[in-house]
Amino acid sequence: MTRTESITLILKRIQILGAELAKPELCKATEATKLFGESSSLDSMGLVTLISDLEEDIRQQYKISVTLVDEKAMSRLTSPFRSVHHLADYITMVVNDRKS
Amino acid sequence: MPTAVITGTSRGLGRALTERLLSLGWYVYGISRSSSRINHPHFQEYLADITNEQAVQQVANSIKETGKSIEVLVNNAGAASMNAFLLTPFKSAESIMRLNYLSTFNTTQLFGKIMARQRHGLIVNITTVAVPLNLEGEAAYVASKAAVEALTRVTAREMIAQGVKVIALGFGPIDTDLTRAISRDKIQKINDQISRPSGTTLSEAIDFILEKINNSEIKSGSVEYLADIR
Repeated sequence: MTRTESITLILKRIQILGAELAKPELCKATEATKLFGESSSLDSMGLVTLISDLEEDIRQQYKISVTLVDEKAMSRLTSPFRSVHHLADYITMVVNDRKS
Repeated sequence: MPTAVITGTSRGLGRALTERLLSLGWYVYGISRSSSRINHPHFQEYLADITNEQAVQQVANSIKETGKSIEVLVNNAGAASMNAFLLTPFKSAESIMRLNYLSTFNTTQLFGKIMARQRHGLIVNITTVAVPLNLEGEAAYVASKAAVEALTRVTAREMIAQGVKVIALGFGPIDTDLTRAISRDKIQKINDQISRPSGTTLSEAIDFILEKINNSEIKSGSVEYLADIR
């Protein structure tokens, strides 16, 4: 999985979520979009939905089951869930690790 | 055709509920360690240990591959343990907690993710009147089911954001393998305490579960007993 594929996967899912939650700002998400914190349009449950949906997207597209929230993710110095940019790096790494 | 996933379908309440749902036109996936020997075109059985995360993950993946939506998950599998607290071996307490609580945690998470993706679903956790009665001689069992009730309330608050409801339904002693080891006197005493002197039949328990499943207005996070507890 390339990083560009990760970005595409995440942005597509955020746009779907934006439409569902009636939050048009999410439909304009970019790589710099924050996923949690005061400047994020996602609340904590929105982030849970995003992560859970992405796990299923990965399973469907790459035929592998991944758990994105685990001890490895939680112990990282910089949270992989901070922004689209960080999440893309993390997903690319997790998927490629699983595939190798 | 609505679809349910039920754990502990090999006997007792799980098996009877499966048979009733099949007769009502549901498709049922059963998960249990031994076979229920139910032979029905709309029943698919998975033999798996529900305390094993990987085993249940494989079952969930297999069900996902069918593309069917799951309307209801019934976390029914469980075990009881009758023993004075001071004489209950640690291993028994650990095993009861694994089967009653951790398996519910496991299936709720794995099938809850499928339901969250669908944006709808109902998770029914089976509990017991032994919790509100604080039944003596059942400390390990009561603690494990109290944990299930707490899990019900918290997961209900979290998963409502994804359109998934979680409830817990509890019963007094029902005539199944689970209660065979309890003396008739003790069962009568419990039934008297919950104002059901004639006890609870399997059929009555299933009617109660179906009434809740069919109630689209049911409040997520509710813990209800087929009993009158004062």
